[in-house]
Amino acid sequence: MLHPDRRRFLELSAAGLGAAGLAGALPGAAGAATASPFKPEKGATLQLLRWTGFVKNDDIIWAEHTKNFTAQTGVPVEIQELNWPDVTPKAALAAQVGSGPDIVMGWNDDPFIYPDKLLDMSDLAEYMGKQHGGYYDTARAYCYDPDVKRWVALPVGVTGNAVVYRQSWMREAGFESFPKDFPGFLKLAQGLKKIDHPCGFSLGHAVGDANSWTHLVLWGFGGKQTNPDNSIAINSSETANALEYARQLYEVMIPGVSGWLDPSNNQAFLAGQCSMTMNGISIWYVAKDQFPAMAPDIFHALPPYGPSKQHSIMNNFTSAYIFKYSKYPQAAKEYLRYMLDEAQAAPWVTGMRGYVTLALKGYAELPIWTSDPKITPYRDSMEVTRFDGYNGRPGRAPAQALDEFVIVDMFADVAVNKMTPKDAMRKAEARLMTIYKHT
Amino acid sequence: MIARNARIYGPLALYGIFLLLPFYWMIVTTFKSQPELLNSPNPFLIFHFTFSHITDLLTQTQYGRWFANTLFVSVGATVLSVFISYIAAYAIIRLRFPGWQAVSTAIFLAYIVPPAILFIPLATVIIQLHWFDRLWALIPIYATFLVPFCTWLMIGFLKTVPRELEEAARVDGASNISILWRIIFPIAVPGLISAAIFSFTLSWNEYLYALVYMSSSGNKTVSVGMTTELIRGDVFQWGQLMAGALIGVLPAVLVYFFFVEYYVAGLSGSVKE
Amino acid sequence: MTGGSRLRSRLDSPRVLGIVLVAPAAILLLGLIAYPLLWGVWLSMTSATLGATGVFVGLQNYAVILADPVFRGAAMFSVLYTLLAEAGKLALGLALALILNQSFRGQRAARALMLLPWVAPTVLSALAWLWLLDPQFSAVSWLLVRMHLISRNLDFLGTPASARASLIVVNIWRGLPYFAIGYLAGLQSISKDLYEAAAIDGAAGWQAFRRITWPLLAPITTILVAFSSIFTLTDFQLIWTITRGGPTDATQVFTTLAYQRAIVAGQLGEGAAIAISPIVFMIVLAFFVVRSVREQ
Repeated sequence: MLHPDRRRFLELSAAGLGAAGLAGALPGAAGAATASPFKPEKGATLQLLRWTGFVKNDDIIWAEHTKNFTAQTGVPVEIQELNWPDVTPKAALAAQVGSGPDIVMGWNDDPFIYPDKLLDMSDLAEYMGKQHGGYYDTARAYCYDPDVKRWVALPVGVTGNAVVYRQSWMREAGFESFPKDFPGFLKLAQGLKKIDHPCGFSLGHAVGDANSWTHLVLWGFGGKQTNPDNSIAINSSETANALEYARQLYEVMIPGVSGWLDPSNNQAFLAGQCSMTMNGISIWYVAKDQFPAMAPDIFHALPPYGPSKQHSIMNNFTSAYIFKYSKYPQAAKEYLRYMLDEAQAAPWVTGMRGYVTLALKGYAELPIWTSDPKITPYRDSMEVTRFDGYNGRPGRAPAQALDEFVIVDMFADVAVNKMTPKDAMRKAEARLMTIYKHT
Repeated sequence: MIARNARIYGPLALYGIFLLLPFYWMIVTTFKSQPELLNSPNPFLIFHFTFSHITDLLTQTQYGRWFANTLFVSVGATVLSVFISYIAAYAIIRLRFPGWQAVSTAIFLAYIVPPAILFIPLATVIIQLHWFDRLWALIPIYATFLVPFCTWLMIGFLKTVPRELEEAARVDGASNISILWRIIFPIAVPGLISAAIFSFTLSWNEYLYALVYMSSSGNKTVSVGMTTELIRGDVFQWGQLMAGALIGVLPAVLVYFFFVEYYVAGLSGSVKE
Repeated sequence: MTGGSRLRSRLDSPRVLGIVLVAPAAILLLGLIAYPLLWGVWLSMTSATLGATGVFVGLQNYAVILADPVFRGAAMFSVLYTLLAEAGKLALGLALALILNQSFRGQRAARALMLLPWVAPTVLSALAWLWLLDPQFSAVSWLLVRMHLISRNLDFLGTPASARASLIVVNIWRGLPYFAIGYLAGLQSISKDLYEAAAIDGAAGWQAFRRITWPLLAPITTILVAFSSIFTLTDFQLIWTITRGGPTDATQVFTTLAYQRAIVAGQLGEGAAIAISPIVFMIVLAFFVVRSVREQ
């Protein structure tokens, strides 16, 4: 009797393979037929460090494909999984020690913290870019080092965030369709509070959820952390406007958000206590299995935009990098090429119901994105995402600023601790100056 | 009589509620059906009983392995620490070798450097020793914070052992080493048990060193495995987490339930003046 | 005498045997405590990061953290957390010990059960508390609302003040049994004759406690408080699991901040400086410990 997860996987990958069949229509897919330029070394074995999947099918499908890779090439791959915030420190430790996993699927600024320890990925990145329609700008910003003019990592994609809401309550609050701009969004939140179904966005040290919406508001008003030369630009009238807006939003939120960690909004939403939040597709994914009565009422929308009239959200970006100490660099590159090729990438994304939006533009045409209109908003995640520490350079400093929740705390200081925007900005500015100065 | 009972059982009940509420919570959450976890008319009760959290925990995670790891490390660290502490305490108290006072003080001072201070520089030392991600390495590492307290315990305990026994044995020609094992050791057993219980508890409980120095899933201890692998992305697997917590609490509880009298006796032996 | 037994008798002399027996402890502590401690001090004076060895920077890291309001806040909360938690544990632990010291039915079970919070792995209990203190799902809030004592769920972890208070309560919960058992041992070593003599003089109850019990418990009080304070001052598991140092860094302590800077953000030098800084407090505590042990 087939384990229910395996059965589900086979159903979905059958659908996915259908998608891969359609991949013949994708730009640059002709490459799938030609031989790969990366030949694994003899006797190669690989160790991959990646994050624990946010949805169950992620790990299952990735492991299946890895097994196929081993069957086809004879290269065994050991997969080590850690909770996603723990990958970065473990990778840094490996960089320090000079031994550990060959390949890491890490996050955000990782490759710019120790670029000299990483293998040049230019050949692979350019190859994949040519095959699959090129990379989005943000992907390039995270992986291409203009100082040394080479790719230090291979872009994979983002775990997209969108607004997740209950449609019946939105309607009850007086909105027929989801608001597109900030003023409308605030009015919706106020309406939801009036009908006693408030929204909730984390202001605690939630690595994913708190950063996503606070950066959205910051950038939406034109605020930014740094200038292109890495000077600190946080102290501005745009930022002040953003803080004031967030404060008004906080006033109509469900109580307790300042203590919310990453899972808290999922829980509150699925318990029917929170009507609207920002999250990946995991809430709806779980609802379809465990809360089938609620699932049809759950909808997704691209987050609203501010006065800049541009969508600008912070999604966590994942890239794959290979350490120079790896004994089998060619095998490692071939593994990554294989896993991100349509035949594998399509079923992977499909099985995850779009949890990860890939960094290659060609994959925006995957059928999964239009198979259900609820999934479509996540398709554009790579397009609307900006990199953390915008508008400066990725590196150790923005990574530390992100780790220390400087932006999140600035918003929380105004909303929860009742600081004036001026004081909160000054405090954030001081912290950023310390972080950027000595790193 | 009633007044006395009220003075005892009343406050005892209050303490009981305060101290035991989280454990009641662990039990109830372990056996609650999944939907009830987020939505229930009464969170203190179980409406639909289920074993699925326990079975999921044992089959879908490496919990069994983590449990075995923790047991291995705890027992190993206990045996090592008690042994080292016993011989060191005997040497300090009975053998008055040159510099014994300095050594004694130094051992106590070691106690004031807790893991939370050392874990960063110790990490580089562990890496140099090639002990990183080696499970057995936790045994000597844990001994570093167990030995000081156990030594203190044993010193206090050995002080209460009358010297006549040893003197009589020496008159009979026994060597110091045979006194150590044949005469003193049997008397010291309650103190040793006390030290062993303490060591086992602290080892079982340890988190930071295991978190930083062990890496592969197969080398994790219960505490580390639970917090790093049962919180996937943005979902807390509460049922499994509490099931794992419940099972994880059992060994220490069993040890204490059977040996608490020894522990108290051992402690009071060492603090007697 | 043969060569073997001459060696054995050399070995058996108090001087030699003493050193041999103490050697394992000494090697262990020198190698894995003293050396890393010194190395940590050195590390705190460099700009080392995870992924790159740094350069010597003298006391710059210390200057940086002293100027950092987050560090100062963490230092203050570490001390506050320790003071309040120790006071709570002492008072409540002693009271419990006084109760447990009497003979009553179920005494053995009571003693064993009361130990549970201290015996259970902290991380696991902290997870249970995280759930019990959740702003939406707390069973404690639910109960209080049902009993009409409050109208809305309590936000235990959402504001700096309430988060700090919650952590102190959980720490007291965790450490209370340690004090109770320690005091129980101490109480049992007090001779009953003293109380009988005092009763003859007309002193009982609170008087007896103040004149006999408390003074005689002084040595164990010192030991319990000194050892416990060290671990409370450098607490990590409890705080990291429940609040991660938030909200807005209000519950950061030395160790969580050191972990965040060194491991999460990769700043080894600065993290080492933060981790080493409570040593000053520890030295004060150690002074008391060593003095009281000497007195024994």
